[in-house]
Amino acid sequence: MEVRYSRLLEKPIAVSGRLEHREDGSLVRRVVWPYQEVTILQGENVSVERAGSKPRRFTLDRAPELRGMLASFGAILQGDRRLVDRHFAVSARGSESRWEITLTPRNDKLKRQLSRIVVVGTDNRPKCFTLEEPDGDGSLLALGVAGLGDLPVSLDRDVLHAWCTDGDGQ
Amino acid sequence: MTRARRGLLLIAWIATVAILGWTVNRHLVIGTDLRLFMPSPRTSQERLILDEIGEGPASRMLLLAISGPDPQAAADTSRALAATLRASDEFRLVANGESNLLTIPDSLLAYRYLLSPTLDHSALDAGFLRAQLEERVRDLSSPGAGLLEPWLPRDPTLELLKLADSWLPARQPQLLHDVWFDASGKEALLVAETRAAGFDPQSQRKAADVLQSAFEDSRTDGNLRLESSGPGAFSVLMQERTQGEAQWLGSISVVGMVILLLMAYRSLPVLVLGLLPLISAGVTGLAAVGTIFGTVHGITLAFGFTLIGVAQDYPINLVSHQHRGLDARSNARALWPTLATGVASTCVAYLAFLFSGVRGLAQLSVFTVTGLAVAGLTTRFLLPLLVPESSRDAADSTRLGRLWHAIAGLPRPLWLGVATAIACVVYVALSPRPLWENDLGALTPIPPALLARDSELRQELGAPDVRYLLVIEDVDAESVLRKATNLDPKLQTLVARGVLGGYDQPARYLPSRAVQEQRRAALPDPDRLRTVLNEALDTTPFKPGIFEPFLADVATARQLPALGPTDLAGTPVESRVSSLLLQRENHWTGLVTLTGVNDAAAVARIAGQAPGITLLDLKQASEDLVSRQRERILWCLAVAAMLLVIVVFAALRDALRVRRVLAPMALTTLIVVALLHATGVPLSLFHLIALVLAAGLGLDYALFFEHAADDPAEQRRTLHAVVVCSASTLLVFALLSLSTLPVLRAIGLTVAAGVVSNFVLALLLTRPSARTET
Repeated sequence: MEVRYSRLLEKPIAVSGRLEHREDGSLVRRVVWPYQEVTILQGENVSVERAGSKPRRFTLDRAPELRGMLASFGAILQGDRRLVDRHFAVSARGSESRWEITLTPRNDKLKRQLSRIVVVGTDNRPKCFTLEEPDGDGSLLALGVAGLGDLPVSLDRDVLHAWCTDGDGQ
Repeated sequence: MTRARRGLLLIAWIATVAILGWTVNRHLVIGTDLRLFMPSPRTSQERLILDEIGEGPASRMLLLAISGPDPQAAADTSRALAATLRASDEFRLVANGESNLLTIPDSLLAYRYLLSPTLDHSALDAGFLRAQLEERVRDLSSPGAGLLEPWLPRDPTLELLKLADSWLPARQPQLLHDVWFDASGKEALLVAETRAAGFDPQSQRKAADVLQSAFEDSRTDGNLRLESSGPGAFSVLMQERTQGEAQWLGSISVVGMVILLLMAYRSLPVLVLGLLPLISAGVTGLAAVGTIFGTVHGITLAFGFTLIGVAQDYPINLVSHQHRGLDARSNARALWPTLATGVASTCVAYLAFLFSGVRGLAQLSVFTVTGLAVAGLTTRFLLPLLVPESSRDAADSTRLGRLWHAIAGLPRPLWLGVATAIACVVYVALSPRPLWENDLGALTPIPPALLARDSELRQELGAPDVRYLLVIEDVDAESVLRKATNLDPKLQTLVARGVLGGYDQPARYLPSRAVQEQRRAALPDPDRLRTVLNEALDTTPFKPGIFEPFLADVATARQLPALGPTDLAGTPVESRVSSLLLQRENHWTGLVTLTGVNDAAAVARIAGQAPGITLLDLKQASEDLVSRQRERILWCLAVAAMLLVIVVFAALRDALRVRRVLAPMALTTLIVVALLHATGVPLSLFHLIALVLAAGLGLDYALFFEHAADDPAEQRRTLHAVVVCSASTLLVFALLSLSTLPVLRAIGLTVAAGVVSNFVLALLLTRPSARTET
């Protein structure tokens, strides 16, 4: 599940789908509910295709929040420390069984679009990726959550954060 | 004349030429636009063709490719290069796929509702807005939401994005690192439109230099390579090759000439003096062209000097006839009737080009006529005062004596001449091969590898066709735009049918006022819009009140006057519109560029359905122009030929003598034409000029042989003069005929063959011994 917060919206919006790594090195973000959408990230290039509209293409330079997300995935899921260090300062706290890693952008351009990324996990399994933007917007990605029913009724940020760190929400 | 006065005269002559040369050099503007060698337009259709040949956006477009091991570096360089070129004076449109959404001035932002076609098929009602807002919610939870979010309160229907999308080329290359790349993802691609016309090599050279230095400045990686292709790049390349080769061959001929003249006269002063009439001819010729035309074309310059090279023969004739005891002045006086006849008749022939209707040829005509007249007059009146007393006499040469004796023994096959003439005419008339070359490009052919690369890049970039172009004409911009709007659906049908790959037209960027006003009328009034927006917002998670900027923009748009062609300054489409919508003297022209034309006839049919719309086939049109131009030149030459006969007749006053003098040159012309035809060379304008040059040479040889009378010593001196003249001319043009470039080869081959034929025929048909036998 991914929950998105925007200052333009009264309440957060939630979508669910899958993340796939392809053999050619690209990352695919597939939204299956409440609509269909496929995002392909290949190298620096991104394409977003939704049923009924023309695909949009842009690069990571123009979507810093996406670069942040990608870097944190790389770091946490694949242990690619070098990629992270290029763009972020990393700090960690908690214990082996319940940890929290914070990534803070190094360069100003990235900082304007992205305040920080917080990854919360237990043992060797990350649970939530929280992305915070300077204007108060942001998003939260909860791994291994199939539908809205598995999340708290309120999608309020504090509620969800608490749920992430709580540890027994799976 | 004393030695001192002789020296003074020499200095005065050289000083006059030098001062004149310096003045000419200071004021002379050398043009290189090839259109100067195309006929002056007489009909509006011809004017249109000539305007578009050099002005059409396709002919100005350079296709650029930046390749290197690192695509990221190529992309960065593409961005930096595009920025530098956009800021330069040489380029007016540079596209590399970068989105320039934010470059629209704030004052024009509200115009998006008049420019975008959205309102043509959907009204700003609750249903449409709801659908749009639902899409926006999805956009917000998509990756890259940060790109759109700041715009949404102002533009919830993403009109600006739709507009920017619609301004992108219909078929564009893939985007990598935010710029265009070829299909393999290895080369960053750009399109740059030069301000200079595509067929103006000098201005294109300037643009090419700016491009290269901009590339050097913006490259981020030493391994990157820049390639440029297109009509402009080709015209620079071909001009350089032609110039390079002509210079190289020219230098060899000068060395050869000097050696030849030194061998013939064994005197350095004679060599120097022999050059003075030629140099005077060149300088005064240039001064005359500069005074009359203001500018001189590069081709006139290069070609003109080749043509007045004949003037070298005048001093040669004088010096060869010089011998002990003969005062140079009485020598010149004796030679003058012959020399003057030669000069006058050659001038008459070149005068024909003055009335050809081609500016470049008229320049050439003024240059050669002035030059030859000056060379003839200086040889008659100035040179004799300076020629030193000669101790050598060509008539003393025993080898020449033996040669003359052998020639005198040759048969005089007059019947063979007649037979050859008939054979040549019949052969050319019956041959199925085309006699003329209509494709100007064939004279300076572009290497096939470059052409293949060009069509490859053109394919990748979806760049417009350089051959076909639709032209819309009307009294004002609005009428042109309306016609373009009406044409659009028909063109779309052609694209759907696969007849056409794509097209670009001005109304795509600037809709007609009528269309803009219609869209403006479709905008709901502020109260109504607020009501339907609130209705649409009911079912979405958007906060109430955030779309105030949108309401304000629509309210502004309802009050805006429609945009005209001059109101687009500062927008990304300013340059696009200014190259597709042009103000002519008393009308406006809209251009529709075409891509991938598979069936020109089908495009011509839809153009024919509306008045004022023409499909231009630039290749066909320029070939038609060339053939019409040639027809006119041939008529001029026919008149000149008759005048020439009259001049020669007036000088010789004897039908038999006239026939003898004219026979070699007339026969030579026929033989050379037949020879060129037999070797598969179609004739071009340059062959025609070369034929006139050869004919002028032949006339001179014949006149001098004819003049030699029965005095054996004079005959030997004449033989000496003609051998030296023809050998030096043959040397220059034989070298030129070795060129790899058809245009130089055409001139070289024609004149070289003409010199040989003229020399042989003058000996066989005109030599005085033949006369005594009649």
